[in-house]
Amino acid sequence: MNQDAFDISLSLFALIDWHGFFFLLFAAIACIAALMVVLTDNVVRMALHLILSLGATAGLFFLAGAEFIGAMQLMIYVGGTLVLLVFGVMLTAQTQLVALRTPASDRVLAGILAAALLAVLVQAAFSIESWQKSGQGIVSAPTATPLGMALVGVRVDQSAEANLLDAKGGYLLPFEIVSVHLLVVLIGAAYLARAKRRRVPRPVDLMASVDSVEPNSSVDSPSTVLSGGSE
Amino acid sequence: MVQTLDEDQRIIEFDVRTDEMLVNMGPQHPSTHGVLRLVLRTDGEIVSELEPHIGYLHRCAEKIGENLTARQWIPYTDRMDYLAAMNMNLGWSLAVEKLLRYQVSEKARHLRVLIVELNRIASHLVGMGAYGLDLGTFSPFLYAFREREKILDLYEEVCGARLTYSYITVGGMTADLPPGWLQRCEAFLDQFEPIIQEYHTLLTTNAIFVKRTATIGVLSPEMAIDYGCTGPVLRGSGVDIDLRRDGESIYTAMYDGYAFEVAVMKNGHYPRDHKYPAVPKDAVLGDCWHRFFVRMLEVVQSMDLVRQSIDRYSQCKGALGEPLKLAEKLPAGDTYLETECPKGQMGFYLVTDGTPIPWRVRARSSSFSNLAVSPELCRGCLIADVPAVVGSLDVVMGEIDR
Amino acid sequence: MAEFLIETIGLPTWFAWTAVAGLSAFLILNVIAGGALVFIWAERKIAARIQDRLGPTRTGGRFGWLQSLADGIKLLAKEDLMPDGADALLFRLAPYVSFCASFCAFIALPFAFDTVGQRLNVGVFFVVAVLGLEVFGVILAGYASASKWSLFGAMREAAQVVSYEVPLGMCVVVPVMLAGSMDLVTIGEKQAGWAVNWFIFHDPFTFVIFWVYCTCAIASVNRAPFDLAEAESELVAGFHTEYSGLRWSFFFMAEYGSMFLVSALAAILFLGGWNGPVPVSELLGFSDGVAATAPFALRFIGCMNLFLKATAGVLLMMWIRWTLPRLRIDQVMTTCLKYCTPIAAAMFLGVMLWQLFLPGGLVPGSFRAAAGVREGWLEQSYRKESAEDESLSLKKLSRHISEVSR
Repeated sequence: MNQDAFDISLSLFALIDWHGFFFLLFAAIACIAALMVVLTDNVVRMALHLILSLGATAGLFFLAGAEFIGAMQLMIYVGGTLVLLVFGVMLTAQTQLVALRTPASDRVLAGILAAALLAVLVQAAFSIESWQKSGQGIVSAPTATPLGMALVGVRVDQSAEANLLDAKGGYLLPFEIVSVHLLVVLIGAAYLARAKRRRVPRPVDLMASVDSVEPNSSVDSPSTVLSGGSE
Repeated sequence: MVQTLDEDQRIIEFDVRTDEMLVNMGPQHPSTHGVLRLVLRTDGEIVSELEPHIGYLHRCAEKIGENLTARQWIPYTDRMDYLAAMNMNLGWSLAVEKLLRYQVSEKARHLRVLIVELNRIASHLVGMGAYGLDLGTFSPFLYAFREREKILDLYEEVCGARLTYSYITVGGMTADLPPGWLQRCEAFLDQFEPIIQEYHTLLTTNAIFVKRTATIGVLSPEMAIDYGCTGPVLRGSGVDIDLRRDGESIYTAMYDGYAFEVAVMKNGHYPRDHKYPAVPKDAVLGDCWHRFFVRMLEVVQSMDLVRQSIDRYSQCKGALGEPLKLAEKLPAGDTYLETECPKGQMGFYLVTDGTPIPWRVRARSSSFSNLAVSPELCRGCLIADVPAVVGSLDVVMGEIDR
Repeated sequence: MAEFLIETIGLPTWFAWTAVAGLSAFLILNVIAGGALVFIWAERKIAARIQDRLGPTRTGGRFGWLQSLADGIKLLAKEDLMPDGADALLFRLAPYVSFCASFCAFIALPFAFDTVGQRLNVGVFFVVAVLGLEVFGVILAGYASASKWSLFGAMREAAQVVSYEVPLGMCVVVPVMLAGSMDLVTIGEKQAGWAVNWFIFHDPFTFVIFWVYCTCAIASVNRAPFDLAEAESELVAGFHTEYSGLRWSFFFMAEYGSMFLVSALAAILFLGGWNGPVPVSELLGFSDGVAATAPFALRFIGCMNLFLKATAGVLLMMWIRWTLPRLRIDQVMTTCLKYCTPIAAAMFLGVMLWQLFLPGGLVPGSFRAAAGVREGWLEQSYRKESAEDESLSLKKLSRHISEVSR
């Protein structure tokens, strides 16, 4: 490489706005991967593209300085997709790579719906005035601590006196409601998924409990057990 | 002995059902002890059906036996249970001797006890170490092999071979012991005795090991007898049978005057001739843990027997005696004899027509019957339990396929 | 460092930042790759010693110290196989996903005071979140291999990792609560001073929860006795049954990288991070202010401290691996859901109550509470700092209330 070309490329390199570059990169990955989710036939690949899309979104959050939200995105959304992936694997493991064929009419319908939604979102995004100015996105303020404090009822963006006076200043109540709600969901899930079990009789049991258990009760027929299933 | 519902590991959950899958475990699989092939029908992690497929190691040994003289067939018995070749040699030799109504010298009798019991230790060491491997721990395997190597060293001195000995033969032994061998054998026993405690720490009483083996693969005494299970598998279910005590007279005569207690749970406890670890409260008689424990006890038992036989052998004055001729004529007739091998009762059957070459040779393998019970034991267990159960049966494919 | 390049040397800003980023990435990559080489060798030697063998003795002259490099060359030369029915894209992608997750988590991991790829305000959270992504590679590998054993391995891994994230998260929250920050640098700095300042010795509850963390960490990086995903006696080699050559070695590197990562995390969260058991620099008269302007020697010593602690953790994992049998899948789940999670929750509550009633520790003044010496320098946000000081007691109280009401 001759010196001129090197200098030119160096200066070009300097011209690049790295923040903007990474924003575009992550945004492009997020959008393309999102499209791929819709267009792929294979369930597992769909899940993979979804992970990519959500991961790129997390990257956008990190880029914007919202580290907490970014990590949250990774943990909850990307982690949640894990379960989706597992289901995908479970569904397609037996028959070789089951493909989901979408009829053309469905594609059209989905396209119309998506376009409408996109229009609404774009309109909403452009209507926010402060978003139209540049340089608004870069905030290096720590995000986790105020958020965490606010969730337990202390607003650090207010003065201590204001906190003491206004007990409802934080988000303790919503936080608690959400917590209880999640607990209910957890218990409900555990209830639904609880095992309806039967024993497989094994020789020692039969031998040991031949007096106490009638022969029929130890072996339920599978059909009756299955009818008690959760779904 | 019945576990409560919550404790029972073999409860199948029926509401979350996934598709059934047919999985081939083996013949190339790390934990199938050679070339055993198990076809599993699994529902997720649960094995609903297991079917052993055998025949990958078949070498027509029985047919070959119909073309060789009785002594010439000895090396083929080596290759049956190659982990306890001395016992195989002995079984065949005794069967032929029974046919010939031949009795070996007193010295040879004690030497035979010494050699086969030492081999029992070696075989159980492999069984124990490999069982640890099946459960995912590698170190006890090497600890076991380290000690087994010393036994093989002793055997190498005796007969020049480390695995396929052909040492015990029809009418006696191929050679007497080399000088100083008995001292070296005793030295081995002395240093080996405390090491057994290591095995108990790493395996027998290890919490995870107990969790993995207790109440898994419970074999009831009735089923064990129905399936023809023998050896430690049978004794692990609490059936008090040991051919060294209960066998035919030609075999039990070999152990005449030897003091040993059959390693089996009687009246709720195991023999108390040594300090053994206590039976964990999770363990149910007949489960994998008991089968394993019986083997561990038999190691100690065999050590006692080896010590006794060393004494007796060194007190014997007479000559060892020469084995029979290679082409000794066999009287017409048929005979069957079972001996107590490390894996179980190994029987040899031969029909003769007056020539040195038997007209018919058959072997009854203990591993074959022991393996046959595995589908019963594995029904409804988890995939991880399959190696645990099959490993606890301690089968050796050379013996099954012959 | 970037500021130094810009101001002292006068490099253009973009170049300085790019250079620093490249250097960080290079260093982290070398920590993982070099660490993997060393740890694989160490594992061989340790396993050998435990098993009464010698292990590698010849490669590289003595002690077989070049063995892992030789292994690497062997792996490079190996044929790269792919099963016929495999999903080619995912099969190729999976090892890199695993490795990248392991690698990315190192970005937020401080090796010494301020020696960190990218100091994140939510460092702990980030590390735990990214570490959880490693499982994707395993699942993809298991799925794409078109092998039933791989699939079993993948499903086991998924179940295991998803379950163990819960108690692991709870364990991680405890030091966060004690330090009042999710920033790993702050958490490490809060434990400066004598070894009694380490969070593991903070109170009995943290001592217990350290061991819970160890259990969960071993489980989350798939080491024995929780190595169900690759249980060789059951699943041949689990999720990487069908892999060979360099791709396989990527899984291996990811595994060793993760091992080192969780160990380093344990060191930072519980074992004082880069602070030695004896505050040498303080005793020698370097005030903490000097440490802030950072002689590189001090940082280097800090790095060594952390490396030693993390290596000790890795060696512990190896010791466990070569001693214990493997648990069964239901027992792994039982350990997680019936033991680790409740214990972690109880300890969490205990630590909270301890902080509420005995914030200074049993021996008053022995533990530096939230008001650390370097606080003023450490806290980036002045406003947050002032607010936190004032609302410290209130914060504890409200957390307590929220916990009790839950």
